[in-house]
Amino acid sequence: MHLLAQDLVNGILAGGILAVVALGFSLVWGIMNIINLAHGAFVMLGAYTTYQLFTSFHVDPFVSLPISFVLLFVLGYLIQRLLMNWIARAPLLTTFLFTFGLSLLVVNIALIVWSGDTRGVTTAYSGANFTLGDVTVPWAKLYTLLAALAITGTMQLWLVRSKTGRAIRATSMDIGAAQLSGVRVTEIYAIVFGLGAGLAGVAGTLISLSYSLHPTMGDLFLIKAFVVCVLGGLGSVQGALIGGLVYGIVEAFATQLDFTIGTQHISGSGLQDAIALIVLLIVLIVRPRGIMGKATA
Amino acid sequence: MKRIGLGGITGNPGAFAIVLGLMVLLLAVPLTHNGYVETVFRNILMYAAMAYGWNLIGGYTGYVSFGNVAFFGLGAYCSGVLAAHGVSNLFAYVALAMVVCAVFAVIVGFPVLRLKGHYFGIATLGVALAVADIIANLDVLGGSSGLAMHQLDEAHFSTYYYAMWLVALGSMLGTYFIARSKLGYAFVAIRENEDAAAVLGIAATRYKIIAWAISGMMAGSAGAIFAPANGFIDPSITFAVDSNVFPIVMTILGGSGTVAGPFIGSLLLAGANELLQRFFVKAHTLFFGAMIVLIVLLLPRGLVWLFGLRGGVRAWIKSVQVYRA
Amino acid sequence: MSAAVESSVALRITDVGMRFGGLWALSEVTFDVVRGSVVGLIGPNGSGKTTLMNVISGVYKPTTGEVTYAGKRIADVPTHDVCHLGIARTFQIVKPFASLSVRENVAVGAMYGREGAKRSTRASFERAQELLEVVGLARVAERPASDLTIPDRKRLEVAKALALDPDVLLLDEVMAGLNATEVEEALELLRDVNKRGVTLIVVEHLMKAIVSISTTVVVLAEGRKIAQGAPSDVLASQQVIEAYLGSRWVKRQEQLAEIEAEREQAKRVQPPQAGA
Repeated sequence: MHLLAQDLVNGILAGGILAVVALGFSLVWGIMNIINLAHGAFVMLGAYTTYQLFTSFHVDPFVSLPISFVLLFVLGYLIQRLLMNWIARAPLLTTFLFTFGLSLLVVNIALIVWSGDTRGVTTAYSGANFTLGDVTVPWAKLYTLLAALAITGTMQLWLVRSKTGRAIRATSMDIGAAQLSGVRVTEIYAIVFGLGAGLAGVAGTLISLSYSLHPTMGDLFLIKAFVVCVLGGLGSVQGALIGGLVYGIVEAFATQLDFTIGTQHISGSGLQDAIALIVLLIVLIVRPRGIMGKATA
Repeated sequence: MKRIGLGGITGNPGAFAIVLGLMVLLLAVPLTHNGYVETVFRNILMYAAMAYGWNLIGGYTGYVSFGNVAFFGLGAYCSGVLAAHGVSNLFAYVALAMVVCAVFAVIVGFPVLRLKGHYFGIATLGVALAVADIIANLDVLGGSSGLAMHQLDEAHFSTYYYAMWLVALGSMLGTYFIARSKLGYAFVAIRENEDAAAVLGIAATRYKIIAWAISGMMAGSAGAIFAPANGFIDPSITFAVDSNVFPIVMTILGGSGTVAGPFIGSLLLAGANELLQRFFVKAHTLFFGAMIVLIVLLLPRGLVWLFGLRGGVRAWIKSVQVYRA
Repeated sequence: MSAAVESSVALRITDVGMRFGGLWALSEVTFDVVRGSVVGLIGPNGSGKTTLMNVISGVYKPTTGEVTYAGKRIADVPTHDVCHLGIARTFQIVKPFASLSVRENVAVGAMYGREGAKRSTRASFERAQELLEVVGLARVAERPASDLTIPDRKRLEVAKALALDPDVLLLDEVMAGLNATEVEEALELLRDVNKRGVTLIVVEHLMKAIVSISTTVVVLAEGRKIAQGAPSDVLASQQVIEAYLGSRWVKRQEQLAEIEAEREQAKRVQPPQAGA
């Protein structure tokens, strides 16, 4: 029984990070109709930014959160402004391919800069945890979850309250009408893509506290971001949060599966991807707009 | 916006003629008696077959699949299983791969092909990853450590080359004849507007599944020859990201929805990738990524499209600006 | 006697209602379409004409009632099989396959329509060429459909629908945006099609066109059928004019006429300034 509670807690803790990973991806997808395959690479850059700041200047990962955000925001903004706005109206596949190429580019630059060795960020509080009944909770992961909640909350407020946030939502609803009412779509696109990258950077920083770092680490998070978006529905902050938590919990339980059919031993930890993706397929088919999704596309 | 160089449903006929000529020339590659050269060109042919497969579902039918590597991997494992049972006939390998891939496409296609756009892409990616994951966990198929395959002796090495050439040629000609047939028009009608296609009597689901099954048969055949040629298969080789993405990039570069495009794309990209690997051991993937970015920005509609372009540089600049925000 | 009447009915629309959310776009619509006739379907914007077309062609399944064709409920037939029953339609918002040529667009219909299974690819192209000549698009047969002007796209829609070899053809505003000569040509074409035995159901805003071609007119207002009969009878009825165009419209017409008259007078008094 205590295992069940532990799995649930682990799932929630992991889900918080996934929510932040998916948030930026979801905004870019929902608002610009672009699947950003470089999102995972941006997450990786955020993680390595934190790593570099921590090892070179002893900057605490939580302090480097805003730094990751700003650096990645600027990168994303410039990529959209200078390059991707040229193909903004191209068919789906064009932007897909572009971001794939971009991802290869970024990952391989990272391989040259940081090499293919696995790295980690080990802070003073890295190993510390506390127990609640039978359930163990690592402090770092709890802080991470709180930071994730704070970030998603801030994003939601900003989108609803700020002028830019409103312009972004207007653009996502009706680009033509937004343009007519004076919204500069190229600028909004650049801000949204920057925001997506910035949030990926923040997610990378949070990830660096609990996972080991490698230039190709982004791929796994990219796929998870997909699943979370599909679970939660596109372009909404609440969707990303709920999708992230649901996915985190499903994954935590799925990895505990362990049984044998005939001579074939099946273990959930080995089939992590497959189980998650089968869940994804089922959700896609039953509720193509996601658990939280609106009826319209 | 004018569509220049439409050239009919098969694409520019001049480009197709050139590609057929190049295919004939490629028959001469084994005469070099250079194992390295032969492997490079066999890989080009392999990617070409996969690109043709992708072109049928992604280019002609407009359903962007990110799961075609599943067919390639399944095809390879069909050969692996047959080899383990003592079968060494390449025709048997290809035949089994085609049957298995077609059946798999039909079964998976019913739920997955109901999805559209990005959702279809992601679902197919999910299918590919799930198949790889499952195979990696099946002891009968060697799990993650894979299967070793009996390789033909040195003197018969070229057999694999010719077999792959046949698979590529079959995929190309298959595409050509399918595109010109009623089937091809059903695919394109679905790509252009599925609802309008239904009103004209096209049962979209049926034709999408047919497109995906044929697409899978092409990729599966390539996998079936790749396995014995490589002498060894495991999930990470047969379900590699490269095998999934290269055919897509190649088709786009060459020109999707054309008959010449996938081959031109494979020849150029697989060739370029090989050269980059030789000269920039460490950074070749970096250059590859940069190349994709540039291609997308500068040739958003592929190379075959250039064949029909009239009006020189100015027309080309216009074409680049078409998709600007 | 009754058997003869029965066999002369092509489409039977019985008590059709269509609800979108809380709104009934159609309610209790009932009428028969006689084989070989031309039914003009008119009504103000939002009166449910296009919705009814969508129900008849099987795009929507009605909330209540049914549409039967040759004894078959359309709602039970998948969209892609409706044309195989012999019902074809055009769309108000034209939907050409943009990257295919004009001829190829029509040929797709010929390949997969009612007679499609019997036609080879080549025969389909020949049939498409014939139809392009009928609708007057032969001169642009090779061009990509995306190049066509709006009137030509409407013609293409008609050719595509005809390629399905229908018994019943639903035409949704195929004359909108055409000039007077083009409207005449279109009417000529439709009469010709009708003469070959194709039953027509025509949705159109142009009253003149409806009157000149229809054998029966059905008037819809707010989703209900308010009148049915010979065109001259239906349109002469003051009740229909008011319901269809609204009493405010009648008033407005009078006001407009007054303003028009005043302007005319003003023009005569003040000659236009040179160089303005």
